[in-house]
Amino acid sequence: MRDPYETLGVAKTASADEIRKAYRKLAKKLHPDLNPGDKQAEERFKEVAAANDLLSDPEKRRRYDAGEIDASGAEKAPPNARYYRDYAQEGGHPYEGQGAYGDFAQGDDLFAELLRRSAEQARRRPGADLHYELPIDFLDAVNGASKTITLPQGGTLNVTIPAGVEDGQTLRLRGKGAPSPGEGPPGDALVQIVVRPHRYFTREGDDIILDLPISVKEAALGAEVRTPTTTGSVMLKIPKRSSTGDVLRLRGKGVKTRARTGDELVKLRVAMPKEAEPALETFLADWTPSASYDPRKEM
Amino acid sequence: MIKEREFLERARVDRATLEVWIEEEWLIPGRSADERSFTDMDLARVGLIRDLKDKMGVNDEGLGVILHLIDQMHALRRALSAALESAHERRPSSGV
Repeated sequence: MRDPYETLGVAKTASADEIRKAYRKLAKKLHPDLNPGDKQAEERFKEVAAANDLLSDPEKRRRYDAGEIDASGAEKAPPNARYYRDYAQEGGHPYEGQGAYGDFAQGDDLFAELLRRSAEQARRRPGADLHYELPIDFLDAVNGASKTITLPQGGTLNVTIPAGVEDGQTLRLRGKGAPSPGEGPPGDALVQIVVRPHRYFTREGDDIILDLPISVKEAALGAEVRTPTTTGSVMLKIPKRSSTGDVLRLRGKGVKTRARTGDELVKLRVAMPKEAEPALETFLADWTPSASYDPRKEM
Repeated sequence: MIKEREFLERARVDRATLEVWIEEEWLIPGRSADERSFTDMDLARVGLIRDLKDKMGVNDEGLGVILHLIDQMHALRRALSAALESAHERRPSSGV
């Protein structure tokens, strides 16, 4: 950012009164609402406002002069601050005045017709779309759910979440946006879905991925183990001699949308006991594997 | 639509001031059911009123005049842009 003294066009020794006067003079010239056709006015006005913010506060000015804060140490306007001109340039609002051209609009010539048509269009303009963000649980995204958003401006919005909705997807609720400034239809509400991660499920497309820990005994001898799915637990048959990384497929237990049904992919992970198991250790110490059992023979 | 209570809070104006501004037609609230309602445009207009009063030292007499002229300027800009648009539409395509 530029030197704030330079921005306001005052000397380093300027008095508070001189700064105030310089700022007012520039504000009157540069305010975006007094320059609706000047796209750069906003940037210049912000710069001047920031410079004034810094120099009109004696403490901030002292710290700037002492080099303790740089020129951008001033407060920023909120990024989405909109000026009056951003609304006023559209028609169909109560502040619309015809005083400046009403005489032109009265005849039956082309220009008059045009003005009437433009006023009519402004009146029928639809309301703005409103954007919301809705965080939901992983399982609600998979199975579908019904949620109610409490709106910042009061009131609520019911959102039906279709099964299989994806993180970042946007749902459009027709007619639930801002009302028209005139007599047009309301805008839409756009709800962006944010899916919270699950403790143990993840998702790849329509498939649900689950890491399932199994014991050494279950891996060696095979077993039926209770396995969570997104719609409740099922019994899963672990084949004999399963290894970490083997993937078992539960058909149809993935994400169900109207169009497709995914599977649940269960990745096995053999978990060794955390505590000492003397019997297991004794057995393995005495055990001589057959010659064909070499897990690294392909390396 | 913004309800009156929320509007007072977000615009940081007290009720008495709001009544005066509405009386002077600096603000024209809408009506939903039995309540006055406001829009984001009204909030931006409060921002402009503030800037004119506080930053530029415009007094109350001058403020109404300025708001009125600004609104007329926007109406004129819209009329002008509608006229230009229509002139473009009607211009015969050249060279074909």
